[in-house]
Amino acid sequence: MTRALTALAALGAGATLLLGACDRGAERSGGGKSITVVIAEYSKDHTKPFWQGLSEQYTKQGGVKVDLRIIDWNSIDQQVSTMIQSNQPPDVLNLNSFSSYAKDQLLYPADDVLSPKTRDDFIGAFARGGEYQGKLYGFPILSSARAFFYNKDLFARAGLAGPPKTWDEFAQAARKVQALGGGVIGYALPLGPEEAQAEWAIWMWNNGGDWKSGDAWAINSDKNVQTLRFLADLANRHRVTQINPGKTNRTDGAFQLFKDGKVGMVMGFSPLAAQLDTEKKVSYGVAEMPTALGQAVTLGVEDYLMAFKKPGNQDAVKRFLDLYYQPENIIRWITAEGFLPVTKSGLQPMSSNAKLKPYLDALPNARLAPTTDPAWDRVKLDVQQNIGLAVQPGGDPKQVLDQLQKNAVAAAGSR
Amino acid sequence: MLIAAVVVYPAVALSRASLSRYSITGLRQGSVGAANYARLLEQEALPTVVANTVLWVAAIVLVTVVVSLGLAQLLNEDFPGRRLVRWALIVPWAASVIVTSKLFVWIYDYYFGLLNHALLSLRLVAAPVDWLGNDATVMPAMIAVGIYVSLPFTTYVLLAGLSAIPGEVYEAARVDGASAWRAYRSVTLPLLRPALLVAVVLNVIYIFNSFPIVWTLNDRNPGFAHDTMITYMYKIAFKSSLRDIGLAAALGVVNVLVILLAVVLYLRTTSWREAEA
Repeated sequence: MTRALTALAALGAGATLLLGACDRGAERSGGGKSITVVIAEYSKDHTKPFWQGLSEQYTKQGGVKVDLRIIDWNSIDQQVSTMIQSNQPPDVLNLNSFSSYAKDQLLYPADDVLSPKTRDDFIGAFARGGEYQGKLYGFPILSSARAFFYNKDLFARAGLAGPPKTWDEFAQAARKVQALGGGVIGYALPLGPEEAQAEWAIWMWNNGGDWKSGDAWAINSDKNVQTLRFLADLANRHRVTQINPGKTNRTDGAFQLFKDGKVGMVMGFSPLAAQLDTEKKVSYGVAEMPTALGQAVTLGVEDYLMAFKKPGNQDAVKRFLDLYYQPENIIRWITAEGFLPVTKSGLQPMSSNAKLKPYLDALPNARLAPTTDPAWDRVKLDVQQNIGLAVQPGGDPKQVLDQLQKNAVAAAGSR
Repeated sequence: MLIAAVVVYPAVALSRASLSRYSITGLRQGSVGAANYARLLEQEALPTVVANTVLWVAAIVLVTVVVSLGLAQLLNEDFPGRRLVRWALIVPWAASVIVTSKLFVWIYDYYFGLLNHALLSLRLVAAPVDWLGNDATVMPAMIAVGIYVSLPFTTYVLLAGLSAIPGEVYEAARVDGASAWRAYRSVTLPLLRPALLVAVVLNVIYIFNSFPIVWTLNDRNPGFAHDTMITYMYKIAFKSSLRDIGLAAALGVVNVLVILLAVVLYLRTTSWREAEA
């Protein structure tokens, strides 16, 4: 019995080991008869059918099989890291970052795997958003933009004529909606770890601050400290946000409250609009971000496709990418998922879609996160994990930003 | 062969990883000796995380075993509907822990949660509580879920132990004039000792290694204030600005050693061999 117990203890220990070592999936080699394509799951309904169809079409054309893996956003970083650790990277990868992979010299530059026609079709800003040291490594796969959502019924009850344009009007509107009582919340502010960097960036930019000043990180600039104090005051002084905004995530927190009709305002994007349209519970409007500047700024998000350098896979990868970037394919998918185009040939047909209009209108004034800097991959995680602490009762915005700045500078200097 | 594949290979892979330097992408960049272990000790969050882990394991195992003793005793008695209750007890065990955790996220929710609703209607609290956002209540809330999912297994282990005790020893105790409580203390508990040891050891390992409950209920909270060594390891590897496989692997090795040491120490202090005799 003693021995049995020891064996059981060892088995438990083995479980820990397994967790640490991660699951090493069986993989096929990149060259020759098959390629591995890893795609993030944007939606249950559309992602898999589209890529499966595309893979079948690809195999029919050239005989090369596709090992297609659709991975949810929560675990994709981990799974990709495991593939690379075990020296079995995918051939084509879809992710929201690329520059660390380029820095590690794992990727083909555009010249090697995209036809000139495909490359010239990218919208300029998105092509620049995929460059590392002057070369295009992160090929734009789709884009999205955030917009400001408000609850029309609550606004009417609070006597507000329309969405706020300035920060003063915003604070005023939040107070009036909150004053309706009965559990109604002025503004849902999600600064929990899920997507805090996005929420923060929008406020930061609309007060004239930025992540960087020139090439140097400037996270703790005076403007940014002022912005974070403004957000902390919304939570703790004016009390016009939901409880514990530093500990509220976007999807199951802020969006959920808005969908339930409890919230006056929230920063949303097209998938939220689609859910609201399906549920038909809330009458909402979509507007530009409130801003302290003359022109409202929003956050644009660009996701990427990357091609991994592996012996003998260049041709197969090139044909796969060219197939995806054929206008009828890329447009069909982006439309199905409700996102925004990244190609010039996609702008024209999609601009006729009325639902996309507010986001397409915002696109010229959208800014991207500094994804071209490999340090961003660490800075983003640091902001996600820590900025929420600043808006908790007793939190110190300046101290939190100082620490983020310090870590960003260190990350920029590290390998 | 099986042991080699299941235990030895991951152990070797993990140890090797803990001595290596990795890029953020997962690319191995050479060996660094014990540097990852040294850096682990420098992490500011480590003392908090260790304290959380001790509390997490101790509280869950202790409460689970005590409550399970009562439940097992109850289920060992004959009463109408016993079969139904025995089946009902399996439910929290049979459900996936992730699903259970998600369910509890909604039960604890500040705005929509059943718990606040119930407490408010019973006037046990004056205002709703943000169970998963309030630093004072997050850990107790997670521990409660940990107990909930551990009860069925523990109860069944103890129930098996109880039913293995022959009826004659109780008769003997009754003849000797022992009260029910006296009989429980002097007859049931000593004879239940092997089952108790198994329950405690397996629970300690299981709870220490438990990932989904803390991960799911704590996902909204910034920083590492409520993490255990297991979720901390995952965050080091993938979710914090460290994003360091080598450092996480070092913590993984430490985790294995800690759990082995804890189990060995426990078996020693409870003098396992005597219990067998």
